[in-house]
Amino acid sequence: MRRTRGLSLAAALLVGSLTLAACAEDSSNTDPDEPGGGAAPTSEVSDVRVGLAFDVGGEGDKSFNDSAVAGLELAIEEFGITEQRVSPNDDGSNRAELLSQLAEQGFNPVIAVGFAYDEVIATVAADFPDTTFAQVDGSNAVFDGTSKGPNHTGLLFAEEQGSFLAGVAAALKSQTGTIGFVGGVEIGLIQKFEAGYVAGATAVNPDIVVDVQYISPAGDFSGFGDPARGKILAQGMYDGGADIVYHAAGGSGLGVFQAASESGTLAIGVDSDQYETIGDPALQEVIMTSMLKRVDVAVSEFISAFIDGTVEGGTDIIYDLSVDGVGLSTSGGQIDDIQADIDGFKQQIIDGEITVPTTP
Amino acid sequence: MTLALEKPAPAPAAKTRTGRGRIWLILAVIFVLLAVVRAVASQPALTSSSTFSAMLILAVPIGMAALGGLFAERAGVVNIGLEGMMILGTWGAGWAGYQWGPFAAVIAAAIFGALGGLLHAVATVTFGVDHIVSGVAINILAEGIARFLSEVVYAGGDSGGGVTQSPPIKGDAPTLSLPLLSSGPDLLGDLESKRWFLLSDAAGILRGLTSGLSVIVIFALLLIPFSWWLLWRTAFGLRLRACGENPWAADSLGVPVYRMKYFALLISGSLAGIGGALLVFVANIYREGQTGGRGFIGLAAMIFGNWRPGGLAAGAGLFGYADALQLRSQAAVTGLLLLVAIVLVGVTVWQTRKGKLIQAGIAAVFAVGLFLLWLTVDQLPSEFVFFTPHLTTLLVLSLASQRLRMPAADGLRYRRGEDK
Repeated sequence: MRRTRGLSLAAALLVGSLTLAACAEDSSNTDPDEPGGGAAPTSEVSDVRVGLAFDVGGEGDKSFNDSAVAGLELAIEEFGITEQRVSPNDDGSNRAELLSQLAEQGFNPVIAVGFAYDEVIATVAADFPDTTFAQVDGSNAVFDGTSKGPNHTGLLFAEEQGSFLAGVAAALKSQTGTIGFVGGVEIGLIQKFEAGYVAGATAVNPDIVVDVQYISPAGDFSGFGDPARGKILAQGMYDGGADIVYHAAGGSGLGVFQAASESGTLAIGVDSDQYETIGDPALQEVIMTSMLKRVDVAVSEFISAFIDGTVEGGTDIIYDLSVDGVGLSTSGGQIDDIQADIDGFKQQIIDGEITVPTTP
Repeated sequence: MTLALEKPAPAPAAKTRTGRGRIWLILAVIFVLLAVVRAVASQPALTSSSTFSAMLILAVPIGMAALGGLFAERAGVVNIGLEGMMILGTWGAGWAGYQWGPFAAVIAAAIFGALGGLLHAVATVTFGVDHIVSGVAINILAEGIARFLSEVVYAGGDSGGGVTQSPPIKGDAPTLSLPLLSSGPDLLGDLESKRWFLLSDAAGILRGLTSGLSVIVIFALLLIPFSWWLLWRTAFGLRLRACGENPWAADSLGVPVYRMKYFALLISGSLAGIGGALLVFVANIYREGQTGGRGFIGLAAMIFGNWRPGGLAAGAGLFGYADALQLRSQAAVTGLLLLVAIVLVGVTVWQTRKGKLIQAGIAAVFAVGLFLLWLTVDQLPSEFVFFTPHLTTLLVLSLASQRLRMPAADGLRYRRGEDK
């Protein structure tokens, strides 16, 4: 008897924990003006229902995902769409279910934020041929040359171009001639940041030393959420003479800012204007600039194109310097004095005089 | 009926003394080896103060989780839920820390961790659930709870937190440095920069371990000898360990086994929680997933340390050192190859003297191979470097851990009045 009781308790514990985990992952936020998620839209508002699936990190990451939210909110304001937002669980194992759920509930278009949807989105897109999918940071083309489907659009950014400008700013501002780069995970996407940054820095100062390190290897995504290791890495760079470190490490970047603050040096933020979002005056001081990736622009323009019926599908849309899809933030005013130089390089890239490498 | 806790030793005092002498000898040998490799391979990061201060940052959270594991397993409960309790601790520390500062954060982390420990106790002690099942459930549950609480507490507010992170912790805990030596005139820093053989190495290590220490880290470090004293020098500790060795005998002598296991798990959870808090203090923020499996590594460190405080501290330290080294200087990791080669030469000599020629031969082949690798390779591929901490720990574990002994009744389901 006792054994049975023990087993049933174990089962209850497991079921309970799974239920709680499930509760925690689905955040459904609907337009505050629209009580009830799937309520019928009123006459002025568009009947488009947008599903947005976040990357690991979720809403409130003060960076990448929040930028997507900003784009979504812009679209709500403009077109009065209805939306549903979902976040994957901590290990991201339920991404496919999230996308399928959104499509099943009739959300169209469904926008997935992050390259992490690469593995699942093609299958889901094939299961729901009438739904339009978009993926921020994920190309329509797969490595083997096939496509993720005619109803999938990749929203890509020329991170290397923005990072080039970050490298230019770092090289112009560095007093020691040594700068650093902290990458979250050693994958192609983050290596694009590294390549552009190094190219930009050496374009300004061919003798500059760039200390490049990654927090975790490909396959281990803990590097995007481990501020402790981010801090230790950056501290090592600052101890080694670097005075500006650029991070492309998601949540681990907080550790980079901490290290900069403790050693009285500077850092460059990533994805969104981290000067504005960091929420800590001590850390604000060390954020020289941020490499902006206008996920908000991409999301709102995609929704707008969908409403206009101009989404082609089966292709990629690339947001680069020429459309201000990437760039440097100016809040804090720390790069105001070198703005002219930065704009000069920017124009050269737009004109095609400088080709920025995408691999280190 | 007697309590057979430890193997009876004819002269316990003498045995401990030689045991302790041996530890110092091993430490000295390791230190000299490090200094030699530092000089030969000219990799100052091997003994630099910055590596050792990073080692402390990385090792202490793992050490706290390991200490938590020690209390649980010494009382006979396998605690694979350490990771979950650590997650609860990080969340508690973030939540209390941004409102009331770092000391409140430690207390909240201990309480949150202890709640995880309490749940484990209810499941395993009161209801006799399999320890692994309950532990795994707690790990899953903790992740969900942390996300859920963040959504309830932070989402939509202006506090600066979000679904996956807390607002920054308010203020820093005071830090201490050794006067004269590590701060002010910084004599050790001077000595370290001279790069004198042995002296500068010693200075670097000492300076790394004594400058800019947070009082909370010092508190955590003191918990290790305190735990030893509590478990091996008090009646409470004897009873607790009795529950892990032979709960039936302990029960027959009037030890309240269930209650002792509850105490042990409450302590275990709160220690793991404090480990989480220490992790939060590194970057002054709670961030989802920041434990990154450190609870499991803590569990491994405890096994590595043969279920003893000193041993688990060594295990956590070793992992922290290898991790710090690969984060601070990828090139210095190559120097470790030389170090391991030298150690293997020692193993070869030792095994030959014991007449175990096969083992000696294997060690010799690996020593020569590593030495050649060190001579020919400038920098190891980064894929390899990333796994240095895990590889190092695995290597030392496989060399040194053939005589591990876990508590005899560890992991067994104990029901009062029932036989095994």
